[in-house]
Amino acid sequence: MKRWLSFAVLIAAFALGSRLGWWMVPIVAALWGFMRPIVNAPAATAACAAACAWGLWLLLDWQGGEGMGLAPLSERLGGLMSLPPIGLIIITLLLGALLAWSAAALAGGIANSLKSGSGGSK
Amino acid sequence: MLRLLLAAVFLAATLYAGARPIGPAPALGAFLEPANGVWALARTAQLPARSEVGIPGLRAPVEVLFDDRGVPHVFAETEDDAWRAQGYLIARDRLFQMELSARAASGRLSELFGARALEADRIARRRGLVWAAERAAAGTDTASLIARASRAYSEGVNAWIDGMRPSDIPLEYRLVGARPTRWEPLFTFYFFNQMALTLAYEDPTLDRLRVRALVGAAATEALLPRNSPIQEPIQPNGQGAPRYDFQHPMPPPGPPDTAAAVAVAERERLDLALGWTPRGREDGDAVGSNNWSVAPRRTSAGHALLAGDPHLELTLPSVWYEIHLKVEGGIDVAGVAFPGAPGVVIGFNRNVAWSFTNTGADVRDHYAETVDDPARPARYRLDGGWKPLERRVEEIHGRGGDVLATDTLYFTHRGPMVKDGTRWLSVRWTPFEARGGEDFLRLDRATTTAEWLDAWKGFVAPAQNGIVADRAGTIAIRSTGRYPVRPGDGRGDEIRDGSSSGSDWTSDVPVVDYPFALNPAQGFLASANQQPVDPRVNPRYFGSDWYSPWRAMRINQLLRSDSAITPEKMRGFQGDAASPRADAFVAAFLSAAAAMDRAGRGDDSLRRAAALLSEWDRRYTRENRRAVLFDAAMTALPTLVWDELLPPGERTDSTARLVAQPQDAVLLELMADSGSAWWDDRRTSAVERRDDILARALRIGLAETLARYGAPEGDGWLWAHAHHANIYHLMRLPALSALDLPVQGGTSTLSPSPGRGTHGPSWRMVVELGPEVRAWGIYPGGQSGNPASPGYADRLAKWLAGELDTLLFPASPADLPPGRVRATLTLTGARSP
Repeated sequence: MKRWLSFAVLIAAFALGSRLGWWMVPIVAALWGFMRPIVNAPAATAACAAACAWGLWLLLDWQGGEGMGLAPLSERLGGLMSLPPIGLIIITLLLGALLAWSAAALAGGIANSLKSGSGGSK
Repeated sequence: MLRLLLAAVFLAATLYAGARPIGPAPALGAFLEPANGVWALARTAQLPARSEVGIPGLRAPVEVLFDDRGVPHVFAETEDDAWRAQGYLIARDRLFQMELSARAASGRLSELFGARALEADRIARRRGLVWAAERAAAGTDTASLIARASRAYSEGVNAWIDGMRPSDIPLEYRLVGARPTRWEPLFTFYFFNQMALTLAYEDPTLDRLRVRALVGAAATEALLPRNSPIQEPIQPNGQGAPRYDFQHPMPPPGPPDTAAAVAVAERERLDLALGWTPRGREDGDAVGSNNWSVAPRRTSAGHALLAGDPHLELTLPSVWYEIHLKVEGGIDVAGVAFPGAPGVVIGFNRNVAWSFTNTGADVRDHYAETVDDPARPARYRLDGGWKPLERRVEEIHGRGGDVLATDTLYFTHRGPMVKDGTRWLSVRWTPFEARGGEDFLRLDRATTTAEWLDAWKGFVAPAQNGIVADRAGTIAIRSTGRYPVRPGDGRGDEIRDGSSSGSDWTSDVPVVDYPFALNPAQGFLASANQQPVDPRVNPRYFGSDWYSPWRAMRINQLLRSDSAITPEKMRGFQGDAASPRADAFVAAFLSAAAAMDRAGRGDDSLRRAAALLSEWDRRYTRENRRAVLFDAAMTALPTLVWDELLPPGERTDSTARLVAQPQDAVLLELMADSGSAWWDDRRTSAVERRDDILARALRIGLAETLARYGAPEGDGWLWAHAHHANIYHLMRLPALSALDLPVQGGTSTLSPSPGRGTHGPSWRMVVELGPEVRAWGIYPGGQSGNPASPGYADRLAKWLAGELDTLLFPASPADLPPGRVRATLTLTGARSP
């Protein structure tokens, strides 16, 4: 339960952070990784949460346009980049996930190094 | 450790891709993130049902109701507030288009696109339109209509820009990594001068010189005549039918004119320096606008009718934006506006409706200047003395504000002066004296045809055939614009001596001498870019580069044959698929094929081609399977007939193009002289006559059509398969464009469609001026510039089908049927929190 709660909080943090800009995703993920949360695969969790957060934003975009704007937009944007309509949506979610995974993994690794360097263990 | 390294590499790579553009792709982070990035455009694709926004400077609240076609109906208390609202609304829907137009017109595209736009910017400034717009704006009375309107409009545009959320930034800015620029009243002046470039830059002088260099002066006058060989003028000449002023025999090709050859080289260098691109051969008679009006006595309902159909470059979003502006006790006008300019340009109010076609007058001349120092001129010679040159140092900036180039431009009292390689030449051109759109604003206020004509009489450029009808049943047309009166032969062909003021324009043609008609006996008026006035009626020189009158002939044919015209018939006429050009030339091809057969010189190929062509109903409908053959034969014909006009070194090259192509009307003129020297193809050893050449063109047409489209019975020969409209996005991005759209119409039909398909009917409108004004209209595209919006291209299907929408024209907000109100926006004077 606690894990699910922390996952939900993480999604909320990514979603709110994204309001300020995409660069908040690696910052939130780095903080998450640095805290060394008690979850399996914290970097992968961050990646999933970031993708979910951005997915929620896409849902809002879709709903804000009364369900009409996202389909023509993904088709036209996909066309701009020679991708199928769903292609750019997948790339969007992957970008968020990659930013979060790499930042969380790096921060987690650094935190672990610092911890082991100071002699402590978790 | 490896995992740590991998994570670091991934983070660095994703951060780089997120923050930096890679190749043509934008920086992916800001572009893709869904809260404020490009996906957020989907959120702003729909108008909120009800909203309120503050616009600084508004005198009173403005109520805006968007109908279900996305057209805003603006109800304001003052004209200034209406223009403020207009600026706000158009910026909301078309901000990037507005900025792109202003930048293209002012030579500042490099600031958006970098060095790749540098040459375009240099040329734009060198042409002098930027200088002219700035001069016109600076010389405008601050209390004048255009000054007030452009100021208010700017305030509206900037109110939108200032209030934009990150999610509102149009897609194109995201793609090029730029932010919107604040709007200035001057931009409206730039915009109108850019329209002059589109509509008033044609100058047949170079074509005339090129032909003269090859076949001499007499033949040039015959091939590129000052007056149209078929007289069907805009101002009715009382003849009730086209008059064929054909010259028999046509002067044969003469000896080359070496002096003209020298002048050609000079003019080519000048055109290169000024970036003049001649109209493509494939465009020729295939582009052009139509308008016509019908007096009450020839309409079914007894009310005057007016149709407008300007043909311009088709783009997404459209060059037009539909709007209705209502001011209590003031203007109440609906129609289309240019994104970038206040007011309605083509449309109607409660009493009057109007539209335009381009006149195509000769309004540009060139002068050879004598300067004090050819390397660094400071003065130019005039009437024995020296006059100082106006000098402008133009810095062209790149995306980061860096200076990409610095050009020094020179201006005489005539206009910009450029070096053509050896000489300094200056240009005089009526758009240099244009007034920034003031005249269009006056039209919006007119309550009668007389008022409309009076409001329009001072219009300078680009000269327009303005047609008008009012509720009292009056109809009129006038070709209005500044027409210079020149010394000497009165024409604008030669490069004149700039050192004498005696070379300058002496005056302007007075308005009373403009091509004009009011309530003519025939009961209708029409224009289609043809020669505006019969030279036997008014011999003044207005120009010589008139379009062939095929479209005018067809409109007049339709209007003459029906004395119970309805709005629905007017709509049908706009998409009419018949072609008087085809009527004339199909008969000639078939007659030639029969004659060749009788003379024992026919063959299977010719007989097959003639049989197929005879099956054609001479209509360019989408489902037609024979128009492709006719078009192929007509494409082959000019080179076979006018082979004398092939560049001398390229006569054996099958891809060579004529230095200039006489109009089809001249070709028709030649038909009566079957043994003319022009029919002989000098590239062959035989001496050909008319029927030989027509038969050869028909054979070539068949061979090419078979090779390109397969068997005649197949769908490859369908006109819809062969002929398309291509509506490109402003940045020519295919994914945002509508391409390969099957359209009805071909060369010289009322809905002419050129080979590239990039031009066409940009705003079709029909207005009935009864007790209540009723109107219908459509343009290809949609109101919104946002590709996520259903309003981006929602009118395309109807436009393709030749249908028109009913235009709503409510007298008050309450008059708009509630079921047709999509959104309501209240604009107030205070900035919303």
